Amino acid sequence: MWNPYQQLSGTQRRLLGFGSLGVVLLAWGLLTGLGVVRPARLPAPWAVGSAFLRLAWDPEKGESPLLDHTLMSLTRIVVAGVLVVVIGLPIGILMGASPRINAVLSPLVDPFRSAPVVSLLPILVIWLGIGETMKVAFLFLGAVVFLIPMVRDAIVSVPEAHWISARDLGATPWETIWHAVVPIAKPRIADAITVSVSIMWTYITVAEYVNAQVGLGALIQNARRFSAMDQVLVGIAVIIALALVTHAAMRALKKRLYPWEVEV
Amino acid sequence: MTAEAEPSADTASPAASAEGAVAHADAASDFPSIELSGIVQEYPTPDGKTLRVLDGVDLTLDRPGITMLLGPSGCGKSTLLRMMGGVRPTGVQTPTKGTVRIGGKPCDGPHEDAVMVFQRYANRPDLSIHENVALPFRFSMWKKRVPRSEVKTRVRDILAAVGLGDKHDLRPAQLSGGQNQRVALARALVLRPRILLMDEPFGALDAQTREEMQLLLGKLLVENPCVVVFVTHDVSEALVLGDRVLVLSASPAKIVDDIALDEPRPRSTAWLMSSAIVDVKDRVLERLHESRTHGQVRLSF
Ligand SMILES: Nc1ncnc2c1ncn2[C@@H]1O[C@H](COP(=O)(O)OP(=O)(O)OP(=O)(O)O)[C@@H](O)[C@H]1O
Ligand SMILES: [Mg+2]
Repeated sequence: MWNPYQQLSGTQRRLLGFGSLGVVLLAWGLLTGLGVVRPARLPAPWAVGSAFLRLAWDPEKGESPLLDHTLMSLTRIVVAGVLVVVIGLPIGILMGASPRINAVLSPLVDPFRSAPVVSLLPILVIWLGIGETMKVAFLFLGAVVFLIPMVRDAIVSVPEAHWISARDLGATPWETIWHAVVPIAKPRIADAITVSVSIMWTYITVAEYVNAQVGLGALIQNARRFSAMDQVLVGIAVIIALALVTHAAMRALKKRLYPWEVEV
Repeated sequence: MTAEAEPSADTASPAASAEGAVAHADAASDFPSIELSGIVQEYPTPDGKTLRVLDGVDLTLDRPGITMLLGPSGCGKSTLLRMMGGVRPTGVQTPTKGTVRIGGKPCDGPHEDAVMVFQRYANRPDLSIHENVALPFRFSMWKKRVPRSEVKTRVRDILAAVGLGDKHDLRPAQLSGGQNQRVALARALVLRPRILLMDEPFGALDAQTREEMQLLLGKLLVENPCVVVFVTHDVSEALVLGDRVLVLSASPAKIVDDIALDEPRPRSTAWLMSSAIVDVKDRVLERLHESRTHGQVRLSF
């Protein structure tokens, strides 16, 4: 029981995991089913289930509102994610490669990790309006301030021996970074990107808070306004599920790309 | 068979040139000489003082063969070794005083003919053994000098020579420590350097593997003669490998002994146990102890 290094079998782990989820669901079902909690405060699990089905397919219009919301949010995250990587990755690499560049940029980046990014939203609205640009910019800012320091740390953590060895084999400083340092940092850079995407999923509701008609954040926002608690919970569940799926997919991709990585 | 104490090491015998890595006199001209004169090196310490590591080192290496740099830990061996490859940036002015001349010309940057090998072999975990050895050819300096078509055969030849001919497609994690050090050695030799600088390359290996690597190095240098400078703090290793053994004192380092050994490699146990060599060993140990550093010289017989 109290052995941190004990290896659990897959079945054991799943059994325990689903067991605890099951207990919570059961408690939820009992509390709501027996009327201990009013549905307006907490709808029953089956009410959330049927709300999910209603959102998943609207037979009158012949379309899936939930799919539309999901695709919209996904698009915003993909666009912001591409920007985060394209802009943040080179900056992080440069900061890791040069203590000078790091000294210049770190005061501009590091403090924002603990800044209340959410409170920047009104400023972004003033600057960029209430359209798509603002939403993507918000997701971008929220994630890039995490990605840059993580990429920098990935570069810095590569043992110096690799740098010295390549320099002594006649590589220029830039060749050394490119051929001896960055390749070894790649698995950790992949981790950094995975974390950034997870962060964007947590910010999606905030990004879609202002003036969104479509999107999972908008779904939650509108449902809340009409006190449709069951729909709010559907929105939250879908976001969690999508975040978990992207996370797992990115982990699997990383394992395939960098099978040589030694777990530290 | 002789072990002399003259400061100069000009004692290459015909026996040595036939078998050992000491090449013939006419080949010596192909190799750039390394001349250090009046070398002083100082480093700033964290408390704002300066630490003098090398204090007036004068040294000339002008023939292929192995020169061993022997000295107590922290005395400045690595500092001195790096200078023999020209001037390499370390964040401080190197050398503080004195001049480094390679092939007769003063150096103000790393010398193109010098290649270094370290104790930490720094192989890239994501590349195969073949790709690791071929890595330097991705650098512009070697890309310019060696045609692409030649790279593959060079890598194949050198991997066969270090006994990894059947390991081309494996990754470093699939090799032992000794085999990884062979990869690092191959990566240096594949460049056909005329100066090979080795900083305790076998220091992290177990005794048996180290012995194998010493034999291998001796053999490889017969095939690819070059000027080798080899740092160690193991007296026995110095006697097994060196054509010349330079003994450094504790910091600030000075050359306190310069011994020529013209016994061909591989050297027999009988030779290593002969009274002349045992005397040399005793003398070296005494020199190292004179420099008042205790328990820092590793002895292994
Ligand atoms: N770049 C540097 N900046 C400051 N001090 C340095 C630097 N390089 C070496 N030193 C100091 O100079 C001294 C000699 O270092 P060096 O690495 O040359 O010794 P060494 O004989 O190779 O030691 P070892 O046997 O441990 O490898 C040490 O005290 C070290 O701390
Ligand atoms: Mg050293």
